[in-house]
Amino acid sequence: MAGQYGYEMSVREVFSKLDVELVDLREAVCCGDPVKSVNNFAANYLGARVLTLAHLTGASDLLIPCNRCHFTVSEAKRLVENDGKTGQKIFSLLKEEGLEYDPQTRIWHVIDFLHDLVGLKTLKKTIVKPLKGMKVASHVGCQLIRYSDLGRADNAENPRKLDELTEAAGAVSVDYSEKLDCCGSHLSLSHPDSALSLGGTKLKAVKSLGVDGLVVSCPECGLMFDSKQRDAESAVGSKLDVPVVYYTQLLGLAMGIDLRKLGLHLNQSPVDRLLSKIPV
Amino acid sequence: MSNTKPNLESKNKILTKLHDKQLVNCFQCIKCTSGCTALKLLELKPHEIEKLVNLGFIDELASSDIIWTCATCLKCVQRCPQKASPYHLVMALRNLAVEREAKVPEAFMKAVSQILEIGLAEDYRKITTRTMETFDREALKLPKISVPKESFQTVFMKALEER
Repeated sequence: MAGQYGYEMSVREVFSKLDVELVDLREAVCCGDPVKSVNNFAANYLGARVLTLAHLTGASDLLIPCNRCHFTVSEAKRLVENDGKTGQKIFSLLKEEGLEYDPQTRIWHVIDFLHDLVGLKTLKKTIVKPLKGMKVASHVGCQLIRYSDLGRADNAENPRKLDELTEAAGAVSVDYSEKLDCCGSHLSLSHPDSALSLGGTKLKAVKSLGVDGLVVSCPECGLMFDSKQRDAESAVGSKLDVPVVYYTQLLGLAMGIDLRKLGLHLNQSPVDRLLSKIPV
Repeated sequence: MSNTKPNLESKNKILTKLHDKQLVNCFQCIKCTSGCTALKLLELKPHEIEKLVNLGFIDELASSDIIWTCATCLKCVQRCPQKASPYHLVMALRNLAVEREAKVPEAFMKAVSQILEIGLAEDYRKITTRTMETFDREALKLPKISVPKESFQTVFMKALEER
């Protein structure tokens, strides 16, 4: 996840607190996202391969914490199950590695897993330090909610799950007109300066809301808004200083988990300002 | 682009790549362009790209930088009333550009060769925190990631040959 270890750490911590056992895939490779631009067939093979690895663990539910991986694997699943010819080609490639595709495997993201499967009610029971008085903006990210025909984790035009989850942790999630704007991360591959200017523009809008921070749930968005915030500042020519945290980090705080276990010492944005808002 | 001729053979190639996407149904409602994240960066707008492909001007697009200026935000796919999906069209054009060995941004090819080599688009790296401490996965007590067997490389190479 491109060095977004704080996300990985907080997902592991929060899920263990919820008594959900996570089994790591063995010999996992890329989901195929960057390969989509190069060779769509090969990308779908990689996406389908991830699903077979999940099947190998004996689990029927696959948790994909990244929006882009979630989208890529979802498109691969739909393609191999609906396009017979391409599906057969991919299945036979998988067989060469001794892998078998199972259409029963269900795909989840952190957001719909917590919201739909665990549920807000159960989640609230794990909160020991409600984040009272904290006001944040949410950024759910593009590829988790679009396009609806594919079956996505939330509504494409009015996503609410991340906000509801944030409020379950005791914070207030504000609405704002730039909510659906893209972080620009994909453009980093071809036009890095434009990518930073997109990310920076959104952060500028978030800053003007006067919130305590921005909540994200995708490592690519986190990379843009948190890790590259300094670079984005020079791209848009203004001081940003927006604390950016992953939802699982925020939830972990409300569950009373130690800061360092949630990887909050790894965020590059000024999260200390947000942390000072946590009730003692 | 005004003096070139349409190439229907290239158009058919794109249609095959699009599987069930109904490119020909575009009626130029401009919804895609209205919501496009990358609009400010584009010399040709999404609905114009749709039109050019429908008319068969593929070769010019496949060798142009325009197709590499999509943020993949998927708003055009979501909002297109005709399922013509400029995003999928742009991806098909990118694939064609790679096949033709046109100018492709280095980062994409680098990602593919990294996947071949180590299974991942990017290698695991150490990170430096805002207080200048350095950590790797081990120091953070994160599990080791197992490396794929050689058989993966062979199969992935085969997959890359498919068009």
